[in-house]
Amino acid sequence: MRLSDIAIGVSMAMLALLLSYLIVYGGLGPIATLNLRPLAVSFLNYTYNPWKIVYSAMSPEAVTAIVWDFRGLDTYFETSVLFIAIVGLIALFRGANVVQGVSSKGLSIIVKTSTKLVAPLILVAGASLAFHGHLSPGGGFQGGSFMTVAMTLLAIAFSIEFFQQKKLTLNRLLAIRCIGLLAIVVVSVYLLVKAVLLGGYAYIFQNMPRINSQYSMPSWFLDRPLAGILFFFNLSESIAVIGGLTLGVVLLLLREEELKAIIGGGEHE
Amino acid sequence: MSSATTFLLTTIMISFIINIAISLYGVFAKPSLVKKFIALTIFSDSVNSFAILIGFRRTPLGYPSIAVMPSPPQSVEDLKRFVSEAVDPVPQALVLTAVVIGLAVNMFLVGLIMLYYKYYGSTSTRRVKI
Repeated sequence: MRLSDIAIGVSMAMLALLLSYLIVYGGLGPIATLNLRPLAVSFLNYTYNPWKIVYSAMSPEAVTAIVWDFRGLDTYFETSVLFIAIVGLIALFRGANVVQGVSSKGLSIIVKTSTKLVAPLILVAGASLAFHGHLSPGGGFQGGSFMTVAMTLLAIAFSIEFFQQKKLTLNRLLAIRCIGLLAIVVVSVYLLVKAVLLGGYAYIFQNMPRINSQYSMPSWFLDRPLAGILFFFNLSESIAVIGGLTLGVVLLLLREEELKAIIGGGEHE
Repeated sequence: MSSATTFLLTTIMISFIINIAISLYGVFAKPSLVKKFIALTIFSDSVNSFAILIGFRRTPLGYPSIAVMPSPPQSVEDLKRFVSEAVDPVPQALVLTAVVIGLAVNMFLVGLIMLYYKYYGSTSTRRVKI
């Protein structure tokens, strides 16, 4: 047992004690109070408020309203962080290419058949989670990562050469990811461009009509709430997430022969 | 609040805090990069669950409902009832994006560890001399 191990252990025990002390005697306060925090009350009040549309997101789902409307710019930069993580992965595996006919063609016929049955169901469930994000729990992030599970199943059961045969190359996956991010940008400045062209005022990430601005995204589609910008954001975010994370999965599943091309295969001192 | 609920909540909270401390210990003390990575994912999951727990509240019903309106409110009373019953949505909104971004960052870390292993033939941080 080293001295550093003991020091780390003791400091972690101190951390646990101090965190408990903070929670009990200050900071967070009691967990299950009857009253909500004022910020949460305000968010819940203006999630769907037909009487004060200038403050409202007009979405029955509070979490999606916070993520894409009240704190939309925040979420945009969080999406950028996701994008930059994928870019870092691509930079690590630069020059990688999926080679045809390297090893066996995926797993056994039983796994392939069951994957064929299950993968479309997972894709549909993820899509419903994403496109219904403004009406029920869910949203673009969750739906996109849900659909990535199906893509991962396909990549493992059919091997990553399957994607190549279906014309889903690494570059094309990156293009899908960029299209998703660009769609978010386009949706967020759409009302601004409209206001500049037609005269009047508008804001970035504007959803419903705001003070000084009468432009708005559609809040109803046929007989149900559409929540304007939220639906389009969920749509493009799910496309961006499924493109980016599938690209990451394919890069992590690269075989020995393909990895050799990246690091040269030589020994390093 | 009944004493049983208080006891349960306190137990959950303390176990989260101890989980955070143990996983941080794993990140610092374990020499293997894979074990460090596993400890890091446990750490992020504990912190996220802890943040969700902070959003928990009591309501007149006894338990909170999810922050989703079943249908658009028809009157101000509907809205008031929704506010009085719904759970705090702010921690959920913060955790939501953190989870997916954590997924992408974890992918990056796994790729980094993979290439580290390819270069040095080991994932240990102590054995490798750079």
